[in-house]
Amino acid sequence: MTLTPSLLLAGIERSLNALLARDLAAPARLSRLAGSRLLLRLEHPALTVLLSFHHHGVDLMRQEEPDEGMADTVVELDCETLGELLGGESMERLMFHGKLAVRGRVHLLEEVRDLFFDLDIDWEGELARWLGDVPAHSLAEGLRRMARWGLRAQQEMRADIAEYVFEEARLLPGRQQIETLRDHLTELEVAADRLEARLARLRRRLESEAES
Amino acid sequence: MSPHSTPGDQRTTHFGYQEVPIEEKASRVADVFHSVAARYDVMNDLMSFGVHRLWKRLTIERSGVRPGHSVLDIAGGTGDLTLKFSRMVGPRGRVVLADINESMLRVGRDKLLDNGVGGNVEYVQANAECLPFPDNSFDCITIAFGLRNVTDKDAALRSMARVLKPGGRLLVLEFSKPTNPLLTRAYDEYSFRLLPLMGQMVANDPDSYRYLAESIRMHPDQETLKAMMEGAGLERVEYTNLTGGIVALHRGIKL
Repeated sequence: MTLTPSLLLAGIERSLNALLARDLAAPARLSRLAGSRLLLRLEHPALTVLLSFHHHGVDLMRQEEPDEGMADTVVELDCETLGELLGGESMERLMFHGKLAVRGRVHLLEEVRDLFFDLDIDWEGELARWLGDVPAHSLAEGLRRMARWGLRAQQEMRADIAEYVFEEARLLPGRQQIETLRDHLTELEVAADRLEARLARLRRRLESEAES
Repeated sequence: MSPHSTPGDQRTTHFGYQEVPIEEKASRVADVFHSVAARYDVMNDLMSFGVHRLWKRLTIERSGVRPGHSVLDIAGGTGDLTLKFSRMVGPRGRVVLADINESMLRVGRDKLLDNGVGGNVEYVQANAECLPFPDNSFDCITIAFGLRNVTDKDAALRSMARVLKPGGRLLVLEFSKPTNPLLTRAYDEYSFRLLPLMGQMVANDPDSYRYLAESIRMHPDQETLKAMMEGAGLERVEYTNLTGGIVALHRGIKL
């Protein structure tokens, strides 16, 4: 069990460094980060990891006796927030909601996030290292064509289903019909309010006449 | 675990399962490592199924090394720990890779240079029993899979304690005694049957790998090594069994 977190961190470190090694622009951004240290304190599960950046990538190290003094930035968050952060959620929003605490150089966290978000990996170049230029290009072109076809097929299928459901079978009302209905309901609501107010005024008048 | 006298009045020590004169052990161990140096990393990965990297990783995690620290990596071999330490201490710190064996030191230096490591790393050919450094020189000392090859382990531990700064840590990563009897049996079968076979096939050197298995069995167990470290003047000595006790990481602090 002692080795399980180390195994996980080793796997993550290896994957991140492999991705960074495949981005031609990464070395320039890494050189700006080299020497920086970010201490990540996860609450659930309780785990403290030090991210040390160097010219070739990043080292991840579990800290059993964390010392905040050795880090440029200390980040405290839970797993859910980490997921949101990695999913592109705004840092300011997470900090405003009290889910994310950052001490030290706040910009370092942004730079680290940008480093991984802006990865532009030359998969075709990587394939070419293993298969050669021509087969790699053919394979990549085939995959790109397949991806384009998949996207087009998906869009067409969605359009066809929408047409069948809204126009042919009329199983559901279309967006325009819903908006027209909503406008009518709003008009009806306003008219009903006016009628109710008028009735109330008439009732008050009848009551005052009866008293006099 | 120190050298001892025999009735023939010749001081001997063990070399695997053999008893050899103490003057001979260092040269015999040197021969083993001259022989395996070139394929040391490959064999380590094969023999441990890559787990040795995790054992070393845990050692680094427990080292508490910070930027600016001085680190001594004894029996550093092919420089696995030094590579990480050099990044951890940064340009203001220093790492000394020490090994008694010239071949291993050369392989380690080449590997580190190929990985772009320079500047803050020094290479020293040194015997762990009499380290050529002033007292109180290092913030952290590590010896990974090296102590069992040392002739006089007590002298080596005393020497390490001497060069350690007050508050500094000594980490000893070494093969030990498995805690589970079933694992012990499987481990014995693996060590004495499969290991020499792998040594034969990959490194064409079954004897060196037989020595490896034998030297592991002759190495002191967890509690004995802990007592030896305490005897050398280290305090708060504790150990962690890894992979069922096949390997143990001992840590002591000089106060």
